[in-house]
This record gives sequence, structure tokens and C-alpha cells, in this order.
Amino acid sequence: MSGSKPDILWSPHHADRYVICDSELGLYRIGPVGCSETKAGALPLSVETAATLLAINSDTPYMKCVAWYPKHEPECLLAVGQANGRVVLTSLGQSHNSKCKELMGKEFVPKHARQCNTLAWNPVDSNWLAAGLDKHRADFSVLIWDISSKFSPEASVAAEKIRLSSGDTDSGLVVTKPLYELGQNDACLSLCWLPRDQKLLLAGMHRNLAIFDLRNTSQKTFVNTKAIQGVTVDPHFPDRVASFFEGQVAIWDLRKFEKPVLTLTEQPKPLTKVAWCPTRMGLLATLTRDSNIIRLYDMQHTPTPIGDETEPTIIERSVQPSNSLIGSFAWHPTSQNRMVVVSAANRVMTDFTVFERISLAWSSTTSLMWACGRHLYECAEGVGGEGTVEKDIATKMRQRAQSRYGHDTVQVWKNHLLAGGDDPQLKSLWYTLFFMKQYTEDVEQKQQGSKQALVYSGIKNIVKSSSGTTENRRCWSGSDRQTDVPRFHSEERSLALRLCGWINRGPDINVEPFLRSLEGEGEWERAAAVALFNLDIRRAIQILNKGASAERGDLNLNVVAMALSGYTDEKSSLWREMCSSLRLQLKNPYLCVMFAFLTSEPGTYDGVLYESSVAVTDRVAFACMFLNDSQLPRYMEKLTSEMKEVGNLEGILLTGLTKDGVDLMESYVDRTGDVQTASFCMLKGSPGEVVKDPRVQCWIENYRNLLDAWRFWHKRAEFDIHRSKLDPSSKPLAQVFVSCNFCGKSISYSCSAMPHQGRGFSQYGVSGSPTKSKVTSCPGCRKPLPRCALCLMNMGTPVSNCPGTGHGTGKSDEKVDLTRENKLAQFNNWFTWCHNCRHGGHAGHILSWFRDHTECPVSACTCKCMQLDTTGNLVPSDSH
Amino acid sequence: MFVARSIAADHKDLIHDVSYDFHGRRMATCSSDQSVKVWDKSESGEWHCTASWKTHSGSVWRVTWAHPEFGQVLASCSFDRTAAVWEEIVGESNDKQRGQSHWIKRTTLVDSRTSVTDVKFAPKHMGLMLTTCSADGVVRVYEAPDVMNLSQWSLQHEISCKLNCSCISWNPSSSRAHPPMIAVGSDDSNVMYGGKVQIYEYNENTRSTLMTVTDAVHDIAFSPNLGRSFHVLAIATKDVRIFKLVPLRKESSSTGPTKFEVQIVAQFDNHNSQVWRVSWNITSTLLASSGDDGCVRLWKANYMDNWKCTGILKGDGSPVNGSSGQPGAMNTMVGSTAAPSAGWPDADPPSLVYIQYYTHPSTVHQHSVYIQYYTI
Repeated sequence: MSGSKPDILWSPHHADRYVICDSELGLYRIGPVGCSETKAGALPLSVETAATLLAINSDTPYMKCVAWYPKHEPECLLAVGQANGRVVLTSLGQSHNSKCKELMGKEFVPKHARQCNTLAWNPVDSNWLAAGLDKHRADFSVLIWDISSKFSPEASVAAEKIRLSSGDTDSGLVVTKPLYELGQNDACLSLCWLPRDQKLLLAGMHRNLAIFDLRNTSQKTFVNTKAIQGVTVDPHFPDRVASFFEGQVAIWDLRKFEKPVLTLTEQPKPLTKVAWCPTRMGLLATLTRDSNIIRLYDMQHTPTPIGDETEPTIIERSVQPSNSLIGSFAWHPTSQNRMVVVSAANRVMTDFTVFERISLAWSSTTSLMWACGRHLYECAEGVGGEGTVEKDIATKMRQRAQSRYGHDTVQVWKNHLLAGGDDPQLKSLWYTLFFMKQYTEDVEQKQQGSKQALVYSGIKNIVKSSSGTTENRRCWSGSDRQTDVPRFHSEERSLALRLCGWINRGPDINVEPFLRSLEGEGEWERAAAVALFNLDIRRAIQILNKGASAERGDLNLNVVAMALSGYTDEKSSLWREMCSSLRLQLKNPYLCVMFAFLTSEPGTYDGVLYESSVAVTDRVAFACMFLNDSQLPRYMEKLTSEMKEVGNLEGILLTGLTKDGVDLMESYVDRTGDVQTASFCMLKGSPGEVVKDPRVQCWIENYRNLLDAWRFWHKRAEFDIHRSKLDPSSKPLAQVFVSCNFCGKSISYSCSAMPHQGRGFSQYGVSGSPTKSKVTSCPGCRKPLPRCALCLMNMGTPVSNCPGTGHGTGKSDEKVDLTRENKLAQFNNWFTWCHNCRHGGHAGHILSWFRDHTECPVSACTCKCMQLDTTGNLVPSDSH
Repeated sequence: MFVARSIAADHKDLIHDVSYDFHGRRMATCSSDQSVKVWDKSESGEWHCTASWKTHSGSVWRVTWAHPEFGQVLASCSFDRTAAVWEEIVGESNDKQRGQSHWIKRTTLVDSRTSVTDVKFAPKHMGLMLTTCSADGVVRVYEAPDVMNLSQWSLQHEISCKLNCSCISWNPSSSRAHPPMIAVGSDDSNVMYGGKVQIYEYNENTRSTLMTVTDAVHDIAFSPNLGRSFHVLAIATKDVRIFKLVPLRKESSSTGPTKFEVQIVAQFDNHNSQVWRVSWNITSTLLASSGDDGCVRLWKANYMDNWKCTGILKGDGSPVNGSSGQPGAMNTMVGSTAAPSAGWPDADPPSLVYIQYYTHPSTVHQHSVYIQYYTI
């Protein structure tokens, strides 16, 4: 094409070849990156593909347009339209067969020289080549050449001119007599053959679109329009044609050619190319000048032949194959939605695929479904295998719900094991709640109600209320040396230590059981630190030695023990100096704080208190022992706000289940979304205030909603039972009332005014006292209850298990069951009915009926009772 | 392995939307073939199409489920300028035995004069309400006053957004502390028209505009709130953006619209092109996005609220070759704009502070095995 502006043509037969034409013709082959054929000198087109230059042809100057011979043989035969109106046949690559040789270099010369605008091979009669030319007075502008026609003598007149245009052209190959001459006194800007008939040619003329019929050249159909450039037929819809003018694309239906069926939204710059996608129905790509985007119009529906008003849906989108301005593009003939794009300058090529737009959705159980094109894909979160990567909280909560997390109300601490046992924050939380509960129970036994509320208000509030603090200076145990470390005692501080888990119930401060449990868990450093804080250096050293000699123990612990044994309270000793500088290099935080403690001045323990890798419980316990009454609340306040800020569950120890605790939990939920832990935690406190906090109610509602969405209905019901213990207001009311047909009173025994019978509906079949009315009758009026539709007995009659289930246990077993107080009668005896047709009977009978039938057992009732409710057919996913 | 399993969808044209029901056991798809299909999951995990019917006389853009407490109810919207409500009818025929269910049209909402581009049910606690938005920029809120009668819907509100609307999302939070909110996105590509995301507080009927998003918005999604104190909004525009809306605590005495501090918590241009859809998982800890690069990407935040890409899949379920999966530098800005109250001028631009930080590519690489897919 004209100098700078390149164009691309895909080979009609080789899916991996294309030609780029700018000032010369270049044939490229496209292949995967790294393939041996494409390795040398390959130009990368995309991440996966590269192009190799196969041949260059610069024989034909002044190229205006190019068209590729549509038939298989000879391959790589190209027609080039030149600025002087000549059409030259040329080829690329090494096609040596005779037929091609014969055609090569053949020229077709119009009578008057003017620019050749367009070329089109007839797709069926492939000898025919149509050329569209500019206007020259009254001359014809559409010439159809037969490439097989022989040299015509008349052309010798122009032989002189021919030699000028291309020196090596054999004059014997010049053709001057076209097969057809059309479009007199007009210009032709674009051409295409219509697939409807091989003899129909659509031409964009100067001011109209014209259809020439070669069977009768005097006849043409035409419509006046400005949109005459780039006429092109939809390969999937032979009557649909696109053409353009400036920024406007017109879509025509050849069956009603009077006006365009639609025009696409005008683009701000003039269009340069419009092309239908050969692999996809109704997809049109357009390119404007000086642009780096290709605009796509997806015409979803062919206009219906019955001329109703529905206009086709058009989905517009733009794609940006690369950052540079686009010179031209060409759809790949067979690969789905694929095109090669060439830049306006420097011939940079890009292999580009237009992807379908993907819509997607997550299911409640974290599997992802997406739709791409006409296909659906689903993938679920992987199970096993990866291990190292943390699971999403949705998956965690589901697993925890299944392991009954939160439901251990006796050994409360065990809940952290149910949660997987790998989360230190959850561990701390559940231990704290366990200690709180334990203390409450102790207090209850001693009948001291006053402290009970306090324990749930957290250590921060407990130490605030502290009074009567005593101070003492103890000896280092095992030596008579007096320490200058003051230690503080009070009832509240002891309680705090208990909540931290350092000491057990009882008046003495005895950390030995705690140390032993830490040893048992292999937490040697922590045990040693706790021993040291209790001023027992010997025990600390002993623990460290034990740790060093334990299986897979760290021998360095012995070295630490050695360093510890050299402790001196001499202010200026070398030991002190070395310890305070070297302790920072210790990796284990507990070893670090041990030396921090030993080397710090009394009352200033920042090295211990603000070591954030030490568990909050230990820091709090430490503070309760060594900070005085003015320091302690300040430290607690500071630590609490820090915990609240980050939503660290260890902070529940400080805040308790108070409003502060809810604040802390709020930031935990904000951070993690773990409403499960939040709900269970807040339900563990003393009955009362926090549960009424709207935030807590919100977490509970959200958690219940999650369980419902996962169809963990049993878990949800269990949760509701658990919840109602603490929050009686959450109990739902009775859902169903059944009234007697005769007296209109409720037949429920518990609701009736009669004495004795507060035991509920389920007690049928128990032969009770004579004063009790028959269970088959209404407790109000003693009229019989309705009959079961199947056994025709009055309801309330105990029935044996339904036939055919194989679970029949006989009457005696049933009796044994039923005589147990609070035990429900077997479900088979329940009164059930269809809420639609209102026929019913014993649940067991009805169930067994519907195992084989779809319609109601009552004669002439066609109700499909069992299919009425879709949700009812869903199975809970947590039933076992 | 990064292989997703494919399901034979059997739609005759592009599928535009896929939607799960509340329990994740049913799914609906809609397509340019003018039909909606309903799929049920068997106990073995296979999907079976149990209903397929022509719903509209144009491409069906979106389909969505009502909460099951209102029955088995679907809403669809189409290029044919209508939205429709469908209900499954059981027991009327023998379809169930053949594994087919029967859906009937309960109502057609014909108020729009242009293509209806999105349809969404309001959260359950608001009753049975339906919102549509259309290409001419009108958001309509319908309500079925009697939840047992799905054929009567009254048009409650008609809000003009002035820009062609492409997507809507309700804030799913059921907390009484949070007012009901609707976010509306516009895919108008003219950046001069200002903010393309508008947020309406339903009761107050006031709006705020996210001025920071001026490019065409293709999809918008409020995250499931799950008892959090703030709201999160994901936006599919020329990149994936995640905004946080933190309600400013107001004095109990003051009434009027809630003010929000709007923070942008993440912005990813890894799709290298227009982002088409975004979707949150049930705990709003995972975000999935799809883009014109033909890929599905998964995003997850760590405990520091830093969002990272944790998985990439091609649209056809095949794995993506390593290199393109590396997220490069990303911009995160922390800004604050208040949701303007009625008196605030909409055009008031927020002041923004830009903080740039980089994600370490190696961490992403490690995380890219996070999701494992079943191979069939």
C-alpha cells in the first residue's frame, strides 16, 4: 500500500503464513516461541508465538492494494494493484511449478492510467480478478481481468509504456483487454464478490454502493450512500455487508438494500479498516487512524427475516493489542478470535487473541464458577497437598463448625484444639475463658456472688479495683540472699495470676504445676522464665538443663543455664554488663526477657513488659507481680489499647467480656472475618450485657447465616440451643398450633388448661392415669382426632413402624422408649399433613407411601405433596 | 494442578452471567441465545441442567437468585428493555421425574426505555425488593409488598444517574447500624464525565460519587459484610480496585446520611486491560476478577490487609505460564472523601495522598499454588 501504511493478509490456505505489505511484500511464518524452525531471527509476536521472515519481494513499486489468490495452487500468488492502475501478478517464496511460472509477472493494463484502489479475486471462478480504479473521464472504473487470457496484440501499442514501468517484464505477459468493463463514468473505491452468486460483484462507487451482475452487465442494483469504503461480506451471513465512511460503519442487508439495517456509533477519527471475524458469527473489528485500539462489535443476532422491530443486540468493546499505534490488522482464518496486528511504524507485529468476556461467581462453599464464551468452568478450593499455605477463613470456619468448635462447654480450653490447635491467639483466648469459667464455678461453690461479675470484666478492671496491696522482698529461693526486687500481693493480683494460668486455685502462689505442664509441652524457655520470675533461679537452671538433655533438645540451653548461674546483683559487675548487651542477640524472646529481668532496676521492667513476642498472659502475670499500684493500671491500659488496635485475641484476658472486649473483638472480626470465634466467645461470658450489644448480635446473625448457607442446619440448631442458654430472648416461639375441628381449641396438651398434661403431644400411647383423656381425642372436647389417611385410625394411635423399612422393633421396645420421661415418641407416630391439600396421617405411613407414589394417598386428591418445597428436598450437609 | 473442570453448558451463544443460589447447590446461567438455564448439583457434585427456557426477546445480560425464603425465584434482565421475575413451580406436572423443573414468569418489568443492564435483589432483611439499572441511566427499585404474590411489584423509586448504568450492587449488611446502600457503576468511557461509581443510601435517598473512578466501570460488588464495622467495594474498571468505606461514627442526635471515610486498599492492573467482572466469596476474604486478557485472577488479603494475587487461570481453565503471573509494582493510595451529604457539591474533589509500595514477586509465586483444582 502507499509507502508508510502497512497492511496484512493471511494466507488463504496456510494458517501459519501471512504477508505484510508496505513498500515491499514480506512473507512471514508464525510458530511457537523456541520451536527449532522459528529460532533463528524470529520476531516475537506474543509470549508464546514468534514469526520468521520467509521471503521478501520488492519487485513491484507503487503498490496500492494487494490480493491473495484464493485457490490452493499456485500458492503464494499475489495480485498487486499499482498507482498507475496496472495490476501485476507476483509471488513470494519458491513456487517453481509451471503454472505459476507462466503467470508470474503478468500485467493487466487499463486504457488510461489512474490509481488502482482495490482488487478482488472471484472466490469460485478464480481466474477472474476484479480491479477498482479511480475515475478517468468517461472510462470504466471496474475492470474484470481473466488471468488465464493470453497476450493480446492490441497491447503492443502500449508496449513502450510497459517497459518504463518495470524493466524486466516480458511484454508477452501484458494483458490489456479486460473480460468485463463496468462502472462507466465513475470511480470505484472498494469491491467484493458476493458469495450468493459467483457473477455478482458489489462495488463501492463514488456516491453509491452498486451490485453488478455479470450475467447482464447492463443491469445494476444500487443505493446512494456515502458509506462506500471497505465493502466486506460477513462470511457467516452472505447477505450481510459492512461498509464505512469517515468514522461511521454501515451494516447492510442485501435483501433489503434500500438503507443500512444499522449504523454503528460514530468514531471520532476516520476508519481505515473494517473486517468480519471469520471464526465467529457476527463479530466485526474496526480500526481508526492514529489509534492503538481495535473496536469490536459483536452482533448477537441476525436480523429476523420477518421484519419485526427487534434490532440486533450489539456488544461494543475495544481491545488494545499493544501500546503502539496500529497500522493494520488481519483476523486469523481458522484460529478462534485471533489476529495479527502490525504497527503503523517500524513493522512491529503482535499476535493477539480477543478473549471472551468472562463472568464469574463464588458459591457459598468457596468454589468458583465462570462462563467463558459458551462454556462453563468450575474449580473448587484445593484439598490437601499444599499444607504450607493458610486456608481461607471460610474454609476454616466450615471445618471448625464440623468439628464442633465452640461447643465444648466443660473443658472450654479444648475448643482451641477443635479449631485445629495451630492458632496461638485462639489458644490464649480459650484458656482465658476456661480459667474465667473455672473461677466462677469455684466462687459459686463458696457462695460469694460478688466476685463473679468481676472475673468476666478482665484483668484490667480487676487490678483497678485492687486494694490492700502488700509489698515484700523475698529471698531468692534456695539461697538466703535478700533480693532488692519488691513483689506485690493482693487478692485481686492473685486472681489475675490465676486467669493468666500461672497458679491454681487456692491461697498459695504456687507455680509448680504450671511449670510442670510447660515442661510437658516442651516449652523449656518459657518455663525457665516463669520460674525465674518467681525468683527461683535454681528451678530455672534445672528446667534449662532438662530442656537441653531432652529429645531434640537445644544444647545451647545449657550455655544459657551457665550464664544464669553466674547471676550477681552487683551493679557494676562484668556479668551485668555483658548480659544486658548480649541478651538482645538471643533469638528466643523468653531467654531474652530472663536476662532483661535480671539486669533491670527494680520497678523498670520495660525490657520484659514490651517484648511483644512474649505471650500476653506472661507479660500480664509478670506485671501483676512486679508493678506497683500506680504503674500497673497504666501498663494495663496501654497494653489493652494496643491489643484493641490490632484485634489480638490474647487481649481478651485484659478486657474480659465487656464493652472493651467487644471493641477488641470488633477489630479482630474486621481483620479476619472470623464471626464464628466472635460469636462463641461472647456467648461464654456471664449472662447479660455483652450479648445484647448490637455488634455481638450482628456477628451471631452472620454466623447463623453462614451455617444456613452451608446447609449446616444441624449445627445451626445446636448453636441456637447453645445460644438460648445465655440469651433466653433468642428463643423462638412455638411455630405451629393445631386446633380441634369441633371445639376450635388447640389440641396441644401443653397449651390446654387441663391439669396433668403438660408433657406434650408426643406422649401418645402411654397408658396414663384414668383421669387423663384418651390420646386419640381432643383434650378440649374429647372428640376424636382426624384419621390417618392410610391406616384410617384416629390420630394419636400408636402405630408400629411402617411396613417394609426393616427397622421394626416391635411394640415392647417402643413402650420402653416411650415410658422414658422427656423422650419423644418415635417420629413415625407424629401427626403430619400436607399444608397444600391438608390431608395427612402418621408420619411413618405417609413417608412410606411417598416412597412409591407421587400423589396424595387420599382418593381423588392429585396433590403432589412431597414435591412442593424445593428447599425441603435439600439435604443438610452436616447430617451423619 | 491448575485445571478447572469444564461443564457442558449447551448454550447456543455467549453466556453473560452465572449466578449461584444461597446454598450453592443451584446455579443459573443466561446467554445471548435469549434463554436462562437452571442447574442443580447432585450429591456427587455433578451439575445437571434441570430447566432451560426462553426468557426474553434479546440477549439476557444478568440473572440472579432471590433468597430461598421467598421461594425458588430468579430475576433476569435483557437487551429487550425488560426485566422479569421467574418462579419454579413444582407438583404441577411430571417434570420432576424427568429431572426437569418448570419455571413460570411472574412479572415483566417494562419501565425501562433502553436495555436493562443489571438486576439485583435487595438483601433479605429488606423484604422482597428488586433493583434494575438501564443503559439510559435510570436505577429502579421495585418491591413486592406481599412476598407470597410475586406477580405484583410496585415501582418504589426511580433514580436518575445521568450516565448509562452498567452494574449495581446492594450492600448486603443486615446490621441496623448500616443503612441500606446501592452502588451503581457506569461504563461510559468519557473520563470527563467524572465519577463512574455512585453510592445511594437507600432511606435517605442521597448519593455520593466516588470521584477517583473516572474510567468505565463494568462491574461492582459490595463484599459480604460479615459483621465488620466497615464496607468493602470491589470495582472492575481498567483495573481491579478495592475500596473500603468506613462509617464515621456520628452523634446519636444527628440524623441524615452516614458519612464515610473512603480508602482505596488495593489497585491492580495485572489484567493489563479492561476488567470485566469481580466477585467476592462468602466471607469477603477472596476476590475473583476476570479481564480482557482472558484470565481469571484470585486475590486475597494477608493479616496486614495487603491484597495479593494468589492464583491465575486462563478462561478455558488451562494454566498460565509463569511469567505473566507476576504482579508488578502497584499503586495504593490512601485517601479520604466523605460521602457528601445532601448539601455537599458532588464535584468537590477529594484530597488524596498517594503511597506507593511494591509487592515482592516471590511471595506471589509461592502463593500461586494456593488453589488447587480438580482434574477430570
